[in-house]
Amino acid sequence: MFEFVNEKSEPLKSELMTVNMGPQHPATHGVLRVEIQTDSEVVARATPHIGYLHRCMEKHCENLDYRGVIPFADRLDYLAAMSMEWNYVLAVEKMLKTEVPERAEYVRVIIGELQRIASHLMFFGTYAIDLGAFTPFLYAFQDRENILRIFEEVSGARLLYNYIWVGGVWNDLTDDHLVRIENFLETFEESIKKYHKLVGENKIFISRTANVGVLSKEQVYDYGLTGPVLRGSGIDWDLRKNRPYSIYEKFDFDVIKGEGLKGKTGDCWDRYYVRMMEMHESIKIIRQALAGIEAGPVMGKVPKIIKPAKGEVYMRTECPRGELGIHLVSDGTKVPYRLKVKSSCFTHVSALAEMAPGMLIADLVAAIGSIDIVLGEVDR
Amino acid sequence: MHNEVVSFINSKVSGANATLNTPENGDSSVSIDASKILEVCQALKDGEFEFNVLQVISGVDYKEYLELVYILASFTKNTELLLKVKLDRGTEENLPSVDSVTSVWSAANWQEREAYDMIGVRFNNHPDHRRILTPDDWEGYPLRKDYVVQEKYHDMVVNPEAKVNTADHMFMKNLKESYPDPKKVSGSWKSDDGDAAEAKE
Repeated sequence: MFEFVNEKSEPLKSELMTVNMGPQHPATHGVLRVEIQTDSEVVARATPHIGYLHRCMEKHCENLDYRGVIPFADRLDYLAAMSMEWNYVLAVEKMLKTEVPERAEYVRVIIGELQRIASHLMFFGTYAIDLGAFTPFLYAFQDRENILRIFEEVSGARLLYNYIWVGGVWNDLTDDHLVRIENFLETFEESIKKYHKLVGENKIFISRTANVGVLSKEQVYDYGLTGPVLRGSGIDWDLRKNRPYSIYEKFDFDVIKGEGLKGKTGDCWDRYYVRMMEMHESIKIIRQALAGIEAGPVMGKVPKIIKPAKGEVYMRTECPRGELGIHLVSDGTKVPYRLKVKSSCFTHVSALAEMAPGMLIADLVAAIGSIDIVLGEVDR
Repeated sequence: MHNEVVSFINSKVSGANATLNTPENGDSSVSIDASKILEVCQALKDGEFEFNVLQVISGVDYKEYLELVYILASFTKNTELLLKVKLDRGTEENLPSVDSVTSVWSAANWQEREAYDMIGVRFNNHPDHRRILTPDDWEGYPLRKDYVVQEKYHDMVVNPEAKVNTADHMFMKNLKESYPDPKKVSGSWKSDDGDAAEAKE
């Protein structure tokens, strides 16, 4: 006769299942592995594992002269390479106390803000793909292409530029470039309003992102999160406004912060909203810079061999994905003694374990997309 | 600001021995005793200076000793501070150790894991003390100045000779030999002959 084997022992047990998301998962924007312990569709615990793209860039830099580090800085966040090299160059200039010509500062601001737009467009496109919409990606790339063409003409490269140099910039923007940037902004301003209507006001998009992955102000400070993630949680903080570097104090723009328009303050929709509206502010800044730029040299006086005096600096700037910080130690020779990169994406990934418990697996994809990481900067 | 921070630390935490460093070039910093790091960080966060964010923990190897630089920032008072502790180099089996500040800022969790991985400092009472960027069974601490890459990792040669790119180095070396004025040749890669030529300038 048939017997139930389990009859006298305990009832059927259930246990958590471990699933590896990544390292080759399309929603992780690179080689990030998230080890998830799931209770059916609900995430009980998520542990991010990083290091798949680790190149030990900081060690490489100890063998390069100060100018040679710039291309390596490009390769940190390869979607916002101009912002990365700008931060490194500012650190070296702070150490050398170099004067940068006025026009070079204007060119840097124009290029840096264009880079911010290009980077946020990339976020906009890939985030829509993460959530199952393909069309916005094509729109975003169409506009990003216009910016990359300008970058290609001035620097010779499309992705990794080596354009901002110690003391100025490598190449000047011509009048033709300035006109083209102005024309681009004209059409682009209309397009982002359209894009925001298409995606941000979409009912499906809102129900996928509103009230998902909420980060409170306390959590943001506790984890040291910066950039759009910090502002998405309703904190009024932008380095360009609060600790102006370069010539940002000359420009008039607003700091966008999340207000909880579609759900709780600090959810995925707010972080999306901050980035979309920041593009409008970037347009404002570029327009003011285009109006204020005057003729002049774009390269200051810099010694042939850069040898900063003994000392150390910490320089941070507002990059598209958050605050990048560079801690540079010089021992008076022509190579940096130590270069440490404070990466915003690294800290953002560390907050993932805090956000994840209690989420659906599909929402985890939305949360990873909304903190907008680039693994080149996470792993360095 | 730094002078007030120094007197604040000394008044709040006895035995911290806070001192101010003002180098000729670059940012000022505050040095404290390594054994008091947890109390000092807690005091700086709760006290009048409101350092509510830990930006980064950067480790520097000065050959005779190691130095950890805790870079703190206050987003309410708009200030930043470089807080330094000095540590012995220790040995392979007995790494230098310092108290973890994870209880003060959660951001310290990953920063300390990175410092352990890269510079080889142990953090007491850390909740998840593992390597982070390199594999768990990697040998050595890459950002120490005396680091030598291990030859083999799981029976794989780490730097196979055929794949090491010497083209850049050879290119500069050849250029220096063939160019009429070798002083005008300046390459990125550190090479013994190049350094000597430029040092004379």
